[in-house]
Amino acid sequence: MDREQILAKIEEFKGREEKFLPEPICEEILASYNIPTPPARLARESKEAVEFAKEIGFPVVLKVVSPQIIHKSDAGGVMVGIKNKKEVEKAFDKILENAKRYNSRAKIEGIYVQKMAPPAREVIIGAVKDGQFGQVVMFGLGGIFVEVLKDVVFRVAPIDKREAREMIDEIKGLPILKGIRGEEPIDFDSLSEAISNVSKLVIDFPQIGQFDANPVCVYPERLYAVDARIILE
Amino acid sequence: MQIDLEKKHSELKCFFEPNGVAVIGASRNPEKLGYQVVKNLIDGGSFSLPHLKGFSGKVFPINPKADEILGLRCYPSVKEVPEEVDLAIICVPAKLVPRAVQDCAEKGVKGINIISAGFGEAGEEGRKLQDEFLRIAKKAGIRIVGPNCLGTLYAPNHLNASFGGFLPLTGEVAFISQSGALMDSVIDWAVKENYGFTAMISYGNKCDLDAPDFVAWAANDPYTKAITLYIEGFNDGRYFLEVAKKVSPIKPIIAFKAGKTAAGTKAVGSHTGSLAGSYQVYKGAFRQSGVIMADTLTQMFDLAKALAHQPPAKGNRVAIVTNGGGNGVMCADFCEELGIELPSPPKELIEKIDKTGKMHPAWSRENPLDIVGDAGPERYKVALEAIMSSDVYDGVIVIQTLQTTTRPVEDAKIVVEMHKKYKKPVVAAFVGGVVTEPSAKYLEENGIPNYNDMDRAAKAMWALIEYGKISSKRR
Repeated sequence: MDREQILAKIEEFKGREEKFLPEPICEEILASYNIPTPPARLARESKEAVEFAKEIGFPVVLKVVSPQIIHKSDAGGVMVGIKNKKEVEKAFDKILENAKRYNSRAKIEGIYVQKMAPPAREVIIGAVKDGQFGQVVMFGLGGIFVEVLKDVVFRVAPIDKREAREMIDEIKGLPILKGIRGEEPIDFDSLSEAISNVSKLVIDFPQIGQFDANPVCVYPERLYAVDARIILE
Repeated sequence: MQIDLEKKHSELKCFFEPNGVAVIGASRNPEKLGYQVVKNLIDGGSFSLPHLKGFSGKVFPINPKADEILGLRCYPSVKEVPEEVDLAIICVPAKLVPRAVQDCAEKGVKGINIISAGFGEAGEEGRKLQDEFLRIAKKAGIRIVGPNCLGTLYAPNHLNASFGGFLPLTGEVAFISQSGALMDSVIDWAVKENYGFTAMISYGNKCDLDAPDFVAWAANDPYTKAITLYIEGFNDGRYFLEVAKKVSPIKPIIAFKAGKTAAGTKAVGSHTGSLAGSYQVYKGAFRQSGVIMADTLTQMFDLAKALAHQPPAKGNRVAIVTNGGGNGVMCADFCEELGIELPSPPKELIEKIDKTGKMHPAWSRENPLDIVGDAGPERYKVALEAIMSSDVYDGVIVIQTLQTTTRPVEDAKIVVEMHKKYKKPVVAAFVGGVVTEPSAKYLEENGIPNYNDMDRAAKAMWALIEYGKISSKRR
């Protein structure tokens, strides 16, 4: 997506009651900021989901896409580790059922079929608007760590790659990223670049009120933003 | 954002080195604020203390109903003062302030301390008055401190342009405080502790000048060597960030941020939103701009003392020299917590010390360098000389406990002498009370920061290491 296209999407969703962009759009935006996301496609029906899963390659993750459901997991709208055609069909129906039960008025745009990222060290890259400093970017260990340990660091956006690297070096969980017990270090270079790029994204589009890429799966030679959320102001 | 520090300095000079000061709302009644302010200007304070001296420049009380206040000729309006007036202090009731500012504009006043309260903090009516005088000031190019503030003090020229109790001792630390009441207590405490300041600034409602403006001014103040800040919030966080980025490599900035638990960003819906408490964001912004963050107010002044007087450390390898084992171990623990490395002395260094024949045979030969309880000044000298001339260490913490053979002042003299000779960062922990005090005083008078606790000494060394990293970013 180029600048104009992103702006058009923001305009389209700004007027809606639920001011967040659907995951497939968030991931397209990330891609245009050089933040890789796993291969994925939006399926409208079960048959299509099976087709996409085969095309992408198993295992896959299925996620509900609905403007009324921001917390997908809470709605039972995420199924992981799906290994074959049968499981896709089953998960597809189950997610629709869960979503309806969670919010009977939820309009389901489809089911997102995403390549399941291999096990990884998970981090969070976020951004928010602060009352005193404006757009600030956040980095920390993701998954359960972000909720329990709150091991996160902030910077006022935008920041360059060097400043992003300083953020990474500041978290208490740094040894996890460096690798413990013979584990290889993660790709610090790509991660620094991703943090810096998120900080640029929120400056380029001040309409963004909150941003989460959580988790971002980081590996020794690459990273994937597995889930993303953009909430408009 | 382009920030011209020199321009800022000359723009704010009127608050610290004014040619002529007028007090609008001066009073003959000792109970009134308008009397205290005049007295502060001419005597340095409202209390009688030996260090106090009055402002040497001209002071003009303004009061249409009086001929004379505290022996000074009174003028009915600032416009009628026949000489130059750079700075005005306004302490009339809120509703009369716009008129007073108008008079200042006509007179050509450059800066005003508005002490009066009842503006932005006092609802709609007050806000209107504030907007009104601000418009007049902006048009005339007048800069404003306050309203609802204590004012400004500048010890190097004995200027107490505030209703604060009295001037501090002259030192090398500037204190910029969002709280006026806090500043008053700090002055009182600091005089007792022999802790000096350059400028002390209470800026109240910050309707015009805010903390970053004073930081920018302090960057070019020849007397200020470290800048301390008590902060609750800024008008414009990004302006602070830009100023601090520019100033921090030139002069150390140490900040204490109050309001740790206050919810700054009330964003929900995202993880980031729920984690973005204002304190966390401040922490990041301070890191980013080279501001050293203190956990407590006492710590802020502890660190400022070290940073104002000691050179920054080039690295984080530190030696501890001690005549007491317990304090050495404690200090080592605190250093480790702070990420300070304590490398073992290399063989050559141990040999060098042993060869002098002056060390106790049982000295530790390890870091901490325990030079044994009966150590006298000579042993401190041997140890310090060896450490300071070695490339292995970037700084030294010198501990002295009081034992029967200890000679505190002589030990202190050795520390000062060695620091002068080698210029390596030194922090002292001469711990004790009545007997140790003269040595502690000697150390501090000679630029060696002394602390009565191991954690405080370790933290001060940490600050010198941090500032070594910050100042190396100087462009």
